[in-house]
Amino acid sequence: MVNLRLRFAILVAKSASAASRLIGNKGETLPGRILLAIEPAAISLLAQKKEVILVSGTNGKTSTTRAVASLISQLGPVTTSGSGSNLSWGAANALISPAPYAVLEIDELHLPGIIAQTDPTIVLLLNLTRDQLHRMHEVKRVADRWHVECAEADGTVFVADIDDPYINYAVANAANVVRVSFGGRPHADGAVCPRCGSYLTWVRGNYSCTCGLTNKESDLKFKKGSAAYRNAILANVVGEIAGAEPIEFSESQLERTVTKQFGETSAQFRLTKNPASWSEALQGELKPEVILVLNARQVDGIDTSWLWDVSFKALKGHTVIVCGERALDMAYRIHVEGIESDVVDNFDEALSKVQGDTVTVLSAYTAFFELVM
Amino acid sequence: MLEIIRIHNELLGTYGDRGNADVLKYRAGLRKISARVTDISYLDPLPKTGDIYLLGGAEDAAQILSLNALRKGSILTRAANKGAVVLAICAGFQILGNRYVTRDAEIEGLGLLDVVTTPGDRRLVGDIAVATELFDFPLTGFENHSSVTTLGLDAVPFGRVLQGNGNGVAGVDGAIDKNVFGTYLHGPVLARNPEFADLLLERAVGSSISEVDDELALRYAKWRRALIK
Repeated sequence: MVNLRLRFAILVAKSASAASRLIGNKGETLPGRILLAIEPAAISLLAQKKEVILVSGTNGKTSTTRAVASLISQLGPVTTSGSGSNLSWGAANALISPAPYAVLEIDELHLPGIIAQTDPTIVLLLNLTRDQLHRMHEVKRVADRWHVECAEADGTVFVADIDDPYINYAVANAANVVRVSFGGRPHADGAVCPRCGSYLTWVRGNYSCTCGLTNKESDLKFKKGSAAYRNAILANVVGEIAGAEPIEFSESQLERTVTKQFGETSAQFRLTKNPASWSEALQGELKPEVILVLNARQVDGIDTSWLWDVSFKALKGHTVIVCGERALDMAYRIHVEGIESDVVDNFDEALSKVQGDTVTVLSAYTAFFELVM
Repeated sequence: MLEIIRIHNELLGTYGDRGNADVLKYRAGLRKISARVTDISYLDPLPKTGDIYLLGGAEDAAQILSLNALRKGSILTRAANKGAVVLAICAGFQILGNRYVTRDAEIEGLGLLDVVTTPGDRRLVGDIAVATELFDFPLTGFENHSSVTTLGLDAVPFGRVLQGNGNGVAGVDGAIDKNVFGTYLHGPVLARNPEFADLLLERAVGSSISEVDDELALRYAKWRRALIK
C-alpha cells in the first residue's frame, strides 16, 4: 500500500533540500529533519525496500562508510550518508534515494534506534573509546546500549573488531557475528571488563577475562596495523559478506587526511577529536611545523580535560602554533609536557606564521569541517 | 624528593584527571623542588611513603574495583591520617566518603571524608565554578557525574557553587578535612587553577614555597574565571 504521508513528506523534504542548496548549504540535515517531522516512521518505511548496511564506532566512521559504499556500488546503486551527517535525520535523508542499497554512517548513541528501525543486513562496529563525554557520559554506557540492541537484531550480521573489548561485549549476545581480530592492540579505556566488571588481563594488546570475554577467539585474523589499514580490511569483510569483489584501499584513503593549498603553503589536515584519534595522528608523519586547532563545541566535546590523556611528546622539536576557540587549553597542556607554542587568534594568523611550504594541521572536528570541507 | 602517587589511573582516569599529577610535578620543578610521579596500578601495592596521593574520576565498575583494592591494608587511610595530602576528584571523592550507594549495591567507603553518595535523577554535566575559603577568587572546572553527595555533620564543603552543581545538594561542592580534598571539579582542576596546585605543594612540603611566574598558567586560569556565568 502506498503511504501517502511518506510520499508527501519526501516531496516536502526534497524541495527543502533544493532550497537549502540554493542558499549555499549542503542540504544534508534539513530535508531529513522535515521528513521525520512529517512522517516519524520514515526511516523504517524507507528502509523496508532496501538492503541497509550501517557503520558505527568512535573513530573512522566517515572514511570507512565511504569505503564500504564504494565496495557495495559494485552490486548496484548505493545511497550513503553525507560527510559526518550521522544522526537520524542524516539517515532519513540518505534513505529518500531510490537506490536499492544504503550504506549509512551512524552516531554511536543513535545506532540502537537505527538498527531497530532499519533491520540492517550488515552492521560494522569499528571501535569504542572516549569521545564527547559530555554527551556519551561513559564508554560503558554506549556499549551497554549496543549490547542490548545487537542481541535483538536476529536478521543482522555484525562485523565486529573484537580487539576492542567494548565491541566484543556489544556483540556478545548477537545471533550472527563475524569476529575480527588484528592480533590485539592496547585500549586506553579498557582496564575493566565491560561484561562483568572484573579487571581485564592484558598481555601485549590481547585481553582475557575470567568471564570468558577475550579477543583470542576470532573468526577472522589479520596482522597488526594502523587504524586506516584495519578499517580498510573491515570494509572488505563487509563487502565480501554482501557479495562484492575486494578493493585494495590505500591507507590515505581511509585516513581523515586532506591536503589543501593556501597560497604558497600546502597544509596537510588530519582530524583529531579525542584521545584515540590524537594518539593515532601523533604516531603518523608530522611536518617540522605543526598547527594545532582546538575547539570545544558540542560535536567537539565541550570539555577539554581529555587533552591530558594524550601524550604530545611527538611534537618535541617541532615548531608548534596553536589556535582555535580553546587554544589556551591546548597551549597550557603541551607547555606542561615541555612543548612551547605560539598561541594565535585564528587559523589565518597561524598560517601566516608558517615559514616553510608545508605544514601539518591537527584539527578539532568543527574546525576540520570549516577549514577543509 | 616529593613523591606524588597517581592512584589507579587505568581505572580512575576517565576524565583526564591524570593531569593533576603532571601539573604538580611541573610546578614543583619551577621551584627546583624535585618531585616524582609514581603511577600505581590496581595490581600494585600502594606505597606508604607518598607525599601527595591523587585519585580521579571513573566509571562505576572501575570505581568499585579501585575502592576494594584501596581498602586492603588501609594504606591510604593511614597515610592521610598522618598528614599526607590527598586530592580526590569525582569518583575518587566518592571513594573517600563513608559510603556510596549505586542502583545495585551499597558500598562502604574509606571513611576519610564524612559524606555519603547516592544515585541522582539526572546527569550533572558542564562548567562549574566554586568559591572556597582557601582563595579569594573562584576555582573553575568541568563536572560530569550523576550521583549526588550529602555532607555529614562533621564535614566541611570544599566550596560554595557559583555555577554548575557540585555535590548536587545544598549548593556546595566537595568536602575537605585537613589535607584531604574531595571535589567534583575535572579540568583537570590543578591545570585550571595553578594556585590550588601550589597550595597542595605547600601542604606537602610543610612550608611556604616561592612565587613563580608562569604567565601561561595564569593567563589560562584567569580566562576561564572570566567566563564564569
